[in-house]
Amino acid sequence: MAKVLEGPGMGLMKKWGIHVPNYVVVTSAEELTKLGQANEWLKHSKLVAKAHEALGSRFKLGLVKVGLDLNGAIAATKEMVGRQVGSITVTQVIISEMIAHKEEYYCAVKSTREGSEVLVANCGGIEVESNWDRVKRLTLEIGQQPSPEALEKVAKEAGFTGPLSKKMADFAGKMFICFDNEDAQYLEVNPVVTRESDGELVALDAVTLLDGDAKFRHPDWNFQFAAEFGRAYSKNEMEVMAVDSKIKGSVKFIEIPGGDTAMLPAGGGASVYYSDAVVARGGKLANYAEYSGDPPDWAVEVLTEKVCTLPGIKNIIVGGAIANFTDVKKTFGGIINGFRKAKADGKMKDVKIWVRRGGPREKEGLDAMRALKDEGFDIHVFDRNTPLTDIVDKALQKQ
Amino acid sequence: MSILVNKDTRVVIQGGQAGVNAARRMAEFCYLIKRPLNVEAFVYPPDAGKTNEIPYGSGLIAIPIYKTIAEATKNHSTINTSLVYIGADRAMKGGMEALDDSHIKVVSMITEGVPEKDAKILGAHARKLGKVFNGPSSIGIVSAGACRLGVIGGAFDNLVLSKLYREGSFGVITKSGGLSNEIIWICSQFADGITTAIGIGGDAFPGTDYVSYLEMFENDPQTKAVVIVGEMGGDLEERAAEWYGAKKRRVKLMAVVSGFCQESLPKGMKFGHAGAKEGMKGEGSARAKSDALKKSGAIVPATFGALGPAIKDAYQEMLKSGQVKEPVEPVSLPKLPKTVEEAMKADEVMVAPLIRTTISDDRGDEPCYVGYPASELINKGYEIPHVVGLLWDKRLISKQEAEIIKRIMMLSADHGPCVSGALGTIIAACAGIGMSQSVAAGLIMIGPRFGGAVTDAGRYFKYAVDNKMTVDEFLVYMKKNHGPVPGIGHRVKSLRNPDKRVKELVGYVKSLNMKTPCLDFALEVEKITSVKKDNLILNVDGTMAAVLVDIGFPVDSLNGFFILSRTIGLIGHWVDQKRQDSRLIRLFDYLVNYAAPKRREVPPLK
Repeated sequence: MAKVLEGPGMGLMKKWGIHVPNYVVVTSAEELTKLGQANEWLKHSKLVAKAHEALGSRFKLGLVKVGLDLNGAIAATKEMVGRQVGSITVTQVIISEMIAHKEEYYCAVKSTREGSEVLVANCGGIEVESNWDRVKRLTLEIGQQPSPEALEKVAKEAGFTGPLSKKMADFAGKMFICFDNEDAQYLEVNPVVTRESDGELVALDAVTLLDGDAKFRHPDWNFQFAAEFGRAYSKNEMEVMAVDSKIKGSVKFIEIPGGDTAMLPAGGGASVYYSDAVVARGGKLANYAEYSGDPPDWAVEVLTEKVCTLPGIKNIIVGGAIANFTDVKKTFGGIINGFRKAKADGKMKDVKIWVRRGGPREKEGLDAMRALKDEGFDIHVFDRNTPLTDIVDKALQKQ
Repeated sequence: MSILVNKDTRVVIQGGQAGVNAARRMAEFCYLIKRPLNVEAFVYPPDAGKTNEIPYGSGLIAIPIYKTIAEATKNHSTINTSLVYIGADRAMKGGMEALDDSHIKVVSMITEGVPEKDAKILGAHARKLGKVFNGPSSIGIVSAGACRLGVIGGAFDNLVLSKLYREGSFGVITKSGGLSNEIIWICSQFADGITTAIGIGGDAFPGTDYVSYLEMFENDPQTKAVVIVGEMGGDLEERAAEWYGAKKRRVKLMAVVSGFCQESLPKGMKFGHAGAKEGMKGEGSARAKSDALKKSGAIVPATFGALGPAIKDAYQEMLKSGQVKEPVEPVSLPKLPKTVEEAMKADEVMVAPLIRTTISDDRGDEPCYVGYPASELINKGYEIPHVVGLLWDKRLISKQEAEIIKRIMMLSADHGPCVSGALGTIIAACAGIGMSQSVAAGLIMIGPRFGGAVTDAGRYFKYAVDNKMTVDEFLVYMKKNHGPVPGIGHRVKSLRNPDKRVKELVGYVKSLNMKTPCLDFALEVEKITSVKKDNLILNVDGTMAAVLVDIGFPVDSLNGFFILSRTIGLIGHWVDQKRQDSRLIRLFDYLVNYAAPKRREVPPLK
């Protein structure tokens, strides 16, 4: 899943005929000043300025300003750009036109195992969250298009009446078309409002999750995907992602500040069991990591270096199940190189390494790990006869 | 018994090199269970019409490659299963092609990163047709003692260790590929092993879910218990729990679920598998799944580590109730033939080497010349002449010797376009011939009359010096046994018009504090011969030869100095002609003396 920020999200909706407010995404007050000279709506509308970053609670942070004129928006942009919130620096601000409205509604399309669901409610904003039972849904199988009648029926069920039910059905229909054509996994507009000037339904805010795996057939996805957990990716995380996008197999790395148990396990499945074991033992994870699909040794080496730079770590868990085709000796070679570099940089003091693994060339790989003892590493190596997560128990036992 | 794949499974693999690798793994399994290879064909349009060679035991089996599934099943009517291992962007089309073929009942897809929508379409299409679509991102399916589809089960040693050569009593369903192996191994160590293990893939919406497979296991009398390895995200585990709790089931259900760490991690964090993601409102959490499974009556150990003992308990119970009997292990199992490298490493074979080298070795991370790593030579200031010294005479020459060689090379690098070598290269270059052939055309000219006298000159001067001959004795010896003295004489240069290159080289070597018996002897020879005839001077070949013998190079290597140096010039001539885009050249008639008989009538053939 890949989250898309509001700007490109609204862009996709506009592409499929959904009304969205006029908006611009700028990186500086100067840029907005220039755009203001060229765009009439910026001069004459009431404006909203929001920090265009993957941040939660922007309102509370003062990163949303409403009811501005152009000068106010320029001032707000100046104030927001460059502001530091945790690990995120605000680099973009989205300026959109305020839409005068009274009623707020809700519309979403979400992916299900069978196909998708179109969700409609005749309340919006925070009201819908506390009245989830008012959300009505139309279930669709994969390949099935919602008929205008079915959409109108669900709109009526949700409490829309008169011409508005048809309008809402039309809006939901366009949402579905956008969802279907853009390989979306989740589209949510909250609120949908009636624009007082022309009576059209307009999407005021958009949550857009796309299927990153489908990028190959969307040449117009020229935007970056945003982190989904309320902070920007760190430099090290981005470097690992860059490696991941280049290689056969995969390497993954997410930092969790404040932890002391570093993870360097193999396998998308096993890595989670290792993380569970650390938490179950009362340990604090310093990161999530994973390598799989027989990645090249240099990629595992990069991952290892990043893991070793995590501050304050006491243990590194080099776990893994019995691999199918990942070459244990080769991937361990990358890890060993990474460890050596980290040690040369003075990073492995008071760090214990715990290894458990099986798979092609397991003996050679484990022997090479064991040999690190002679180089002064505090390393403990186990083979397939030690159950998967027992190294976590051993690592966290004596602390 | 088993489910999904068995002894009758005949496979077409859709894919290129990745598919070939899967076929190798499948062939290893077939070899272990002493059955013929179950891969009948490949479908891979770029290589259609060729074959892939799959190792089986110590031999190779040629498996044909077709352009389409229809062609494959037409030629191999027993095919009933497809394994898809093509790129994510082509996976849906390939999967659909396989599902739409009436011969094929099961399609398993290894490809990762397939768009969710495509996976859903494939899954729905398979259900509509009453077929099985397994995956995407599936490591494969293995039925112990019967069939391996995909790469599940790992390396050959692991197949043996996990007792996959014979049936056990446990079914396995996992999302994770690595963990499927782990569970198979656990079942073989804590119990009697598996019947069938299925990797359903870690995507959000796999083509077939736990429930469909649980139904199949329920109907397979050999399977007594099923182990599922779940993870947070989606609702497949909840559906499995619902199925298990709905009525009394014959099979025992055991499960572990991962993702409890999510409770103490940032919301929305992404794990290794695309599907491993908690819903917006906490649905699909590890705890919710685990609770649902427990409630349905499944055995859910608290940790992954506790799964082994739980499986052991379940197995002991089955043994006690007489539901299963202790398995009989085969007396012997086939051993996978070792490659020559592996066997040599294990000291099991001795191979008579085909060639022997005493100069270089590049088996490590860089070439070593007579044991010295190239990078170290560079970093310690050694240069090209030292490499020549190492590779031609297996020794590190001195700085002074290197300087002499460098000067020899600089003096002999080229001698204009008119000489035989350069002319040969230029004619070839103008005929549009490539560099290596054109340069070779020039090098071919090097011989007794052009540039190739260095070795012989060196040989005879050395012979004379070694045998302490006087110049007169030497000249008599040469006249009697070999003819003119190589290294003496020049077509255009003479005493009055000396060769500057010779003067330069002799002057430099003489200025050094080194012994030069050969050079001294050659100069003595020149004194005598040049009196007899003005142009019988010591030429550049002879000078080089004498100096190089004095440095200590072996006689057989001496022509090499000319060949090496002149190659620099020949390459230059080729590049020069190429850059000018020179046209084909042909000799002018006036440059030929036509001495053949005049045109005449051909007599009748007798």
